[in-house]
Amino acid sequence: MTKAKPPRLAMLLLRLRLSKAARESVVGDLLEEYSSGAHPPIWFWRQTWSAIGQRYQRMEHLEEEGSRVMKNPFSGMWNDVQYAGRTLRRNPGFAVVAVLALGFGIGVNTTVFSLLNAIALRPLPVERSTEVVSVYQSFQGRIGRNVSGAISYFSYPEYKMFRDDNRTLSGLAASALVYASLAGDTPRRVSGQIVTCNFFSVVGRTPTLGRGFAENECATPDASSVVVLEHDFWRTQFNQDPTLIGKTIVLNRRAFTVVGIAPPNFPGTSLVPALFWAPITMQAALIPGAKYLDDANLSWLEMVGRLKPGMAVSQARADLAVILNRIDQANPPRKSVISVEVATLLGDPDARTMVFAGGSAALFAVGLVLMIACANIANLLLARAAARRKEIGIRLASGASRWRLIRMLLTESMSISILGGAAGVVFTSWSAHFLFNFVVSNIPRDVPGLSLDVSVDMRVLGYAFLVSLLTSAAFGLAPALQATRIDLNSALKDEGAGLTPAAARGWLRSTLVGVQVSVCLILLVAAGLLMRGLQAAQTVDPAFITTNTLAAEFDLKQQGYDDAKAALFNRQLVELLSSSPGVESVAMAAVIPLSGSNHQTSAETGEPPVSRPIRFNTVSHEFFGVLGIPIVRGRGFTEAETKSKTEVKLAVVSESTARRLWPGADPIGKRMLIAKAPFEVIGVARDARLTTLSSIDQTYVYFPAWESGQAKMSLLVHSSDMPAARRHIRRVVDSLDSAVIVNAKSLEEHVDFWRKPSLLLAAVAGTLGFVGLLLASVGIYGVVSYGVNRRIRELGIRITLGADQPDILRLIIRQGMRPVAIGLAIGFVVSLGLAKVMSFLLYGVSPADPMTFAGVSIFLFAVALVACYLPARRATRVDPIAALRYE
Amino acid sequence: MAARDYLGEFEQIVLLALLRLGDQAYGVPVRHEIERRTKRAITVGALYSTLDRLESKGYVKSWFSNPTPERGGRARRYFLVEPLGLKAIKRTQKAIAGMLEGLDLQKI
Repeated sequence: MTKAKPPRLAMLLLRLRLSKAARESVVGDLLEEYSSGAHPPIWFWRQTWSAIGQRYQRMEHLEEEGSRVMKNPFSGMWNDVQYAGRTLRRNPGFAVVAVLALGFGIGVNTTVFSLLNAIALRPLPVERSTEVVSVYQSFQGRIGRNVSGAISYFSYPEYKMFRDDNRTLSGLAASALVYASLAGDTPRRVSGQIVTCNFFSVVGRTPTLGRGFAENECATPDASSVVVLEHDFWRTQFNQDPTLIGKTIVLNRRAFTVVGIAPPNFPGTSLVPALFWAPITMQAALIPGAKYLDDANLSWLEMVGRLKPGMAVSQARADLAVILNRIDQANPPRKSVISVEVATLLGDPDARTMVFAGGSAALFAVGLVLMIACANIANLLLARAAARRKEIGIRLASGASRWRLIRMLLTESMSISILGGAAGVVFTSWSAHFLFNFVVSNIPRDVPGLSLDVSVDMRVLGYAFLVSLLTSAAFGLAPALQATRIDLNSALKDEGAGLTPAAARGWLRSTLVGVQVSVCLILLVAAGLLMRGLQAAQTVDPAFITTNTLAAEFDLKQQGYDDAKAALFNRQLVELLSSSPGVESVAMAAVIPLSGSNHQTSAETGEPPVSRPIRFNTVSHEFFGVLGIPIVRGRGFTEAETKSKTEVKLAVVSESTARRLWPGADPIGKRMLIAKAPFEVIGVARDARLTTLSSIDQTYVYFPAWESGQAKMSLLVHSSDMPAARRHIRRVVDSLDSAVIVNAKSLEEHVDFWRKPSLLLAAVAGTLGFVGLLLASVGIYGVVSYGVNRRIRELGIRITLGADQPDILRLIIRQGMRPVAIGLAIGFVVSLGLAKVMSFLLYGVSPADPMTFAGVSIFLFAVALVACYLPARRATRVDPIAALRYE
Repeated sequence: MAARDYLGEFEQIVLLALLRLGDQAYGVPVRHEIERRTKRAITVGALYSTLDRLESKGYVKSWFSNPTPERGGRARRYFLVEPLGLKAIKRTQKAIAGMLEGLDLQKI
């Protein structure tokens, strides 16, 4: 039998709590017996518990004899913990309710945190990840810079300066995310990284099979077509074939020799998992039609470096700042700041800011729910404290200090919250996966298998622990302070309501109810607004035809098509498709409406010329017909105009564009300058929501599609039989070039993409709002009900003296609803402010939407009224005789 | 006072176990012996706190053996019943026998 390892935590506890002599015999016995393998770990724990419990009491006893106990304010802490355990075991109902409520509240918080952790806090999956830093720059002021990715990335010449001149890094690597077309029976789009040849040595992940890149493979542009494959990709796509090393695969019509297989569980250094890595010098093949390597003013590379032994992140930051400063000075007016941090999947500072902003908003929302739960538990504790007045009185009378009692009560609430936190972590361990999958499955984008490690790690545990401590202070402190501030005389005589303390307690209870109601209102308003927004989003008309329309994109660029070849391909495609059965009309456009991409430039109009940013699209002459966007003035393009260059360049503008550029004038025949070239407006098209579903484009200009940019054109097909249309497109493309990848989606799917986020948000906010409402109404009910119980004698007297049922009902409800009304008023004001902040999430709903505010307030008021009415009705049934005898 | 002291139930059980085991009496076999004969699970905490109490009364003495590897390099603490302990158990047994005289528990 193998030797069983004892639980490490139990061993630690034993070492901490036992004297050296006791340790020798007790731990020795336990190890001797446990190592036989005959006992489960729970046995070890039970034994540990018994040993430290018994031992401690003995030591405590001895300590008291030496009267050291008075000097240490923390002595007897262990007794408190044991006492708390016993108290909770004696009140299992209270314990279970409190732990479950907290477990849920903390669990929801931890779940949100664990997603944030996976994206932006967890270090990269590399060797000794704390030594690996990511490097970015942020520009200050306006600067003309080319960007592929994010502006905080670096150019290749800049990378080389950092690599050669730094003194703090043992290696600095650069990478860029690329998408390439993998040839095969079914051609497929795959994501990968092009990297500098030291990449694998910097991240410390040597390929398990074959080799990484050699330095000389990064020496000459376009010379070394070699590739390293991701482990899972090798397993699924190539059947784990060990003889693949040395063979070739075809990416973007270029043969690449497989030289290595990366170790398992290494998805690269970017949020999008890489399926392959190629030397950076293969840029021209993998990002076709662009020359990136020599452009010193192009942001396209992310950098990760490994610190030299003993170097701190701050030293590397200072070191690299000097180099960046030198680059700034050589290129005025360039001005930038370096950012060097321990590398995570999301390193780009701008993206991190956005993720943290969104993450804080989400944490805030779930924090509100936890707050309501805390208020409920605080109320329960207050009620229990009232029931324990006598016990606390006796303790105080027999000499316990107030601090000692507060500590005892706080230990009790801390035990509850730590148990709640543990339940929360268990909850998180499955809910985080669930939430992540739910979110991913609801984003119908072609994000290639975005995968995050959302499992519980030390950071998540630490967060859960911190939240648990905070909550225990939130719900435990006020009741503990209240409970120990009692009038000994009346407490020991067990008089029903001591005057001052009871009034103070009442005030605290009302405040808790008020807080619950206002927090609940905030949650419900947010949920209500999002749902109203959702309703608007579902019905909002994009103002063009989306039904029965397919949009197809091709990877002509990756397949090495130049514009002339692409134009021929497109012309044949349209001709062949138009004559296919079931296809009603066909058009080409550079930008698919609502696909998430858009083109922008700036146009100059008027005298003196004013430059304005405009959105634009390049379209074939059938475009307006296929999408059902009518030309309201002038005319659209003719077939001839979209096939050959015209004398004067032409443009069709949207109604809004016409109003903005030429207010009050007839736009037909007007000119505008774009990149110094004059364009003449020949028609005005009706406004539509082409870029985002939430708003009409303020400017939108259409240009006829000429030769240039043909390799990036997409296809729009109108057909009453969509599956057939899909098949026709594939068939026609196959007949022209079977290597081309077709990505066809209906316009409805594109529209859905804009509706999904608000659907998701509304679902989440609605759930949170509902949970908050449930918790708050339980809280109101509990407080009013408790108040009625305490006042039964008073109510009996009132009834005896002639108060009738409606009087009593009014009295109880009026007093119960006062904090509710105050809470509603405060929540109302806060929600108004909050709604403004979240207005960017709302489609077609005013942030001060009266329907939502009035509806939610009335609803919450009604629920609170019911929660008050139930105990109040009980109060009216008080039997005066019984009530007067009631103690 | 100590001379007139009677033993508690568990104290008796522990002392009897030590007597049965002779020079082999340290924590693990003592617990096994008690568990086997009384069909009762004994925790180390309960056992050692009783043994400590018995030692402080002078009923048993204990000493440490050499460390052994299966105990993670820790020593065994062996116990032996002192004459005073033997006297105490005899006294307690006698008291119980006196109380039982003429009583037939089976018939009640």
